[in-house]
Amino acid sequence: MHWIEGIVQGILLGGLYAQYALGMALMFGVMKIVNVTHGDLVILLALIGISFADFAGLGPWSVLATLVPIGAAIGWLLQRAMLNRVVGNDPLPSLIATFGLSIALQNAMLVVWSADTRSLSGGGIQQASIEIGPLFVGVLPLIVLICATLLTGGLDAVLRFTRYGRSLRAASADVEAAAMVGVNPKSVYATATAIAVGILGFAATFQAMRSTVAPADGPFQLIYAFEAVIIGGLGSIWGAFTGAMILGVSQAIGFRINPGFGILAGHIVFLAVLAIRPQGIFQRKS
Amino acid sequence: MSYRVERMTTSGRIALLIGAVALGAIISMPWWASQGLIRDVITLACYIAVAQMWNMLAGYGGLVSVGQQAFVGVAAYAMFVLAQTFGVNPFVAVGLSLIAPALLAVPIYLLLHRLEGPYFAIGTWVVAEALRLVATNMPLVNGGAGMSLRVMTQFSAHERAIAGSILAALLLLVTVGGSYLLLRSRYGIALTAMRDNPVAARSQGVDVQRLRFWIFVAAAVGTGFAGAVYFMVQLRITPPSAFSMEWANLAIFIVMVGGIGSIEGVLIGAVIYFFADRWFGEYGASYLIVLGLLTLMTALFFREGLWGLWRRKFDAPWFPTRRTLVQGDR
Amino acid sequence: MSLLSTHGLIAGYGDMRALHGIDLVVNPGETVALIGANGAGKSTLLRSIMGLLPVAADMVQLDGAPVGGTQPHRMVQSGVAIVPEGRRLFAGMTVEENLRVASEHAAAPQGQPWTQERVYDLFPILREKARTNVENLSGGQQQMVSIGRGLLAQPRVLLCDEISLGLAPRVVREIYEALPQVTAQGTALVLVEQDVGLAQRASQRLYCLLEGRVTLEGRSEDISRDDISAAYFGASHALD
Repeated sequence: MHWIEGIVQGILLGGLYAQYALGMALMFGVMKIVNVTHGDLVILLALIGISFADFAGLGPWSVLATLVPIGAAIGWLLQRAMLNRVVGNDPLPSLIATFGLSIALQNAMLVVWSADTRSLSGGGIQQASIEIGPLFVGVLPLIVLICATLLTGGLDAVLRFTRYGRSLRAASADVEAAAMVGVNPKSVYATATAIAVGILGFAATFQAMRSTVAPADGPFQLIYAFEAVIIGGLGSIWGAFTGAMILGVSQAIGFRINPGFGILAGHIVFLAVLAIRPQGIFQRKS
Repeated sequence: MSYRVERMTTSGRIALLIGAVALGAIISMPWWASQGLIRDVITLACYIAVAQMWNMLAGYGGLVSVGQQAFVGVAAYAMFVLAQTFGVNPFVAVGLSLIAPALLAVPIYLLLHRLEGPYFAIGTWVVAEALRLVATNMPLVNGGAGMSLRVMTQFSAHERAIAGSILAALLLLVTVGGSYLLLRSRYGIALTAMRDNPVAARSQGVDVQRLRFWIFVAAAVGTGFAGAVYFMVQLRITPPSAFSMEWANLAIFIVMVGGIGSIEGVLIGAVIYFFADRWFGEYGASYLIVLGLLTLMTALFFREGLWGLWRRKFDAPWFPTRRTLVQGDR
Repeated sequence: MSLLSTHGLIAGYGDMRALHGIDLVVNPGETVALIGANGAGKSTLLRSIMGLLPVAADMVQLDGAPVGGTQPHRMVQSGVAIVPEGRRLFAGMTVEENLRVASEHAAAPQGQPWTQERVYDLFPILREKARTNVENLSGGQQQMVSIGRGLLAQPRVLLCDEISLGLAPRVVREIYEALPQVTAQGTALVLVEQDVGLAQRASQRLYCLLEGRVTLEGRSEDISRDDISAAYFGASHALD
């Protein structure tokens, strides 16, 4: 019972991690870059959302509805103003540029919001739970998981069936050839980053509702996103989703073994996957 | 008519002389410098060493790591355990502790080298995080409470100053001097070729994977050496300080602002970082915002750094590695 | 007025200059062949026109307006498309999806637009393979997709880079037999071709490149074998 509960908790936690991981998988898939500020943007959006709730009296769902477009705008701007200059074969410039931005962003948040941990009030939804068989499952974590599943399915459908999705897949396969048939790579990239950071608007709202956020937390979210993407297999949206579930379960079970061991268990599973199956568990044949 | 290959330049000879004098000055510090100055110089030497090792990785090996703190922490902890728990002479322990990063670097490289460029970097970060958590949960190193190097009290302040100064000089000799020798050797040509174009280097018979592996291990040892020396002087270690992101941060700032792919750049960058930290460190977050933005700007607009800018104007390398064909007999 | 032209076009890779002042003219609806040995600069020329290499604006003109150095996707939108060397299909996507990407980012069509159906009529085998991933096609079929992709960009001039390379003679014939249907509606073709005879037969005018310079140009049917071999191998150079 103890373990089944752990697994269920882990899958629910994985729903949150999937929301971090989707955007990273998308951006790496098309541009081969990692945005080191990925986690910091979750925190930034969460803090913005909490301030909205505090000063404008917005409820959690209004916060969500505000943060997604704000995230998309931030992502679009980030790509246009900065990342488009550093996309290329050399991984160094994009990594260093976003690394520098990450430090600046963390400290800027520290100046604006101080080091306090904050959270977003959900108006009672945090305490609600439903009984499924012998288990009590929190309503909020369940919403998060459903939301993650819908986001993953939606993103997958966009990539498969829309004009934008086709142009993105073409640019991932061969960016120069895509440009040669009329695709504007920079605008594909800007939209990809806008989607990636827009999804972080969901992640930020749920993170702030489920637990707390503080300006220095970003690197952890970045690492969880990264681990989920690698565990699941590069370049696959559902792979990132499943990787997030595996990471969540690993952490939840680790936590049950020893509270100090939870996060570490996730790292260990990540390293084990790298050792045993470096292409990721769900990597499609290339 | 005869030709010969020339590598040394006048500027290089002057720099070599200044370097030798500087090392001599560092070793003799206990007899002329204040405790504070000695501490500062040792700290600066550690910065230079960590940054130069990162420079070898990212600037030549094409291995961008943001997890070098893993090796700082592991070597420093190994040193503390050997000296404090097992009673090994601390100065001997610094030497022995270098085995730990060397051994650790092997599996880390084997695991992570499969990850593409930027993912390799985040992978190193995960490893460093994992090691921090291991240290936090490990009774042998007193967990999250950290350790103090109480055994150092058996030595007088003067004795500690002598050891620290010698270690700092040795650290610079090994990391900066060692890098320079490596770059001047036949491996240096391969490394420079690899920096400029790994695919072409591979097609010219450079075993890129093998070279990368050895650079990764060597950089781990050099970085670990700096960590062991740094925390020996600090006398205290905790998991957050040993495995701090600050190490990656400072290495990246120093190398990028100074000029990646050059030893001169590291020296310039390290001095800038050291004084910036001294003068503006009290501003805390605002100072770090500026530091982060400077790193960002360098990566965007200014990729060759200060040394690259200087080099465009003056061809006077301090550490010449280029071979020049000169006409006439010696 | 010529449709597409280059004027003293100079281009290269880094420090290495590959083209030393190329003057090329392409008129509406005509087929122009570019021949020359490996490394003569033929592909570099097409890439420069397409905006894949940096060149000065007035070195490439479209309808008399300077377009040199314009980004490739904008060149497509103004009516210049390329069938690139090595086919460069989008792996992981089906034939239909490859074609669709092109038609979804095409220029405004002149005259009767190219449709997926018309491409399938041109290369019937592609209709059968519409739902196959492109990496599972034969070389010839891949080349057909690449040409189809170029056509669906609705170009006024289509640059074809070595479309016969590595294909069986029968497939080459099949592809070349389809080309008149392309020019029939006013689309100009620029064919980079290794097979000199084929190039001569398929084109109205011909340019021969040697070491980044034009060494011969003229009406394809007027040029003799000897002229070509002199221009191709640089015999005149040797006599200097």
